[in-house]
Amino acid sequence: MKTGDMGVKTTTLEKALEWGRSNSLWPLTMGLACCAIEMMATQAADVDVARFGSEIFRNSPRQSDLMIVAGTTTKRMAPRLKRIYEEMPYPKYVIAMGVCVIQGGPYVDGYSVVLGVDKVVPVDVYVPGCPPSPQALTYGLITLQKKIRNETDR
Amino acid sequence: MYKIISEETDKSGMKVLNIDKSDLIELMEDYKDRKYFLSSITGVDMKDHIDVIYHLHNFDKNDYICVKVSTTDEKVPSITKLWKAAIVDEREQYDLMGITFEGHDNLRRILLPDDWVGHPLRKDYDLNKVQYVSVDRDGNEHVSFDDKEGW
Repeated sequence: MKTGDMGVKTTTLEKALEWGRSNSLWPLTMGLACCAIEMMATQAADVDVARFGSEIFRNSPRQSDLMIVAGTTTKRMAPRLKRIYEEMPYPKYVIAMGVCVIQGGPYVDGYSVVLGVDKVVPVDVYVPGCPPSPQALTYGLITLQKKIRNETDR
Repeated sequence: MYKIISEETDKSGMKVLNIDKSDLIELMEDYKDRKYFLSSITGVDMKDHIDVIYHLHNFDKNDYICVKVSTTDEKVPSITKLWKAAIVDEREQYDLMGITFEGHDNLRRILLPDDWVGHPLRKDYDLNKVQYVSVDRDGNEHVSFDDKEGW
């Protein structure tokens, strides 16, 4: 049956949903320390993260799909971070940005820093660096998109 | 009249005054009359005593001076009656160094939860005893030594 010159593309509903979700990840503004500066640079014009559908940094957890934990998570902030994560609607994803968030970093001997934000919230993608460059965070976002679309990385 | 024990000049040219803590209020009143403002309060743990260091700044002359007070019983008179800015600074020093400022109306912790054990910037603070913080539904913070009860 001829349907015009455009042709027919068949897919499953799951794949269409994954495609839509992965290309409209709205991040939550979760800048806790100095990594937030690099997160702002990622959102700005030079490495424009809007090319990948993440242009709007929402200030409300109810409007966002992705939490970029950017900066040192202190023990006093961790229960609040957990609560903000629980206020986000499903499906929700977490990127741990920077070495402080991954395992403590330079504050690993300190008294006040949570050694790894994965003790508090489940983390999908880890972006190492102190701080990670905007290109690294963009690569982490692309990795998360591939993870959502169930593609292998290499 | 207050008595300055010793006066020196550091590398950056800032005047450093060492005084006894009984003369502190009198000296601060004198410098307040000469239009000096409180810039910061810090503490140094010297193991046998604690130094409390006040930085004052004059905007007209752009002059910084540093006032050092030594205390052995962790008590220093409060200067919140002179500068309201000292309220927050003295609470921070009480929180992290354990210095009691006598005459402060609201001396409680400012950065750490109220249940926290010890003062972290002291030399005798044991870093091996890790404390964990959790928040219940009413917003009250709890501190525990058990890592299952918080983060």
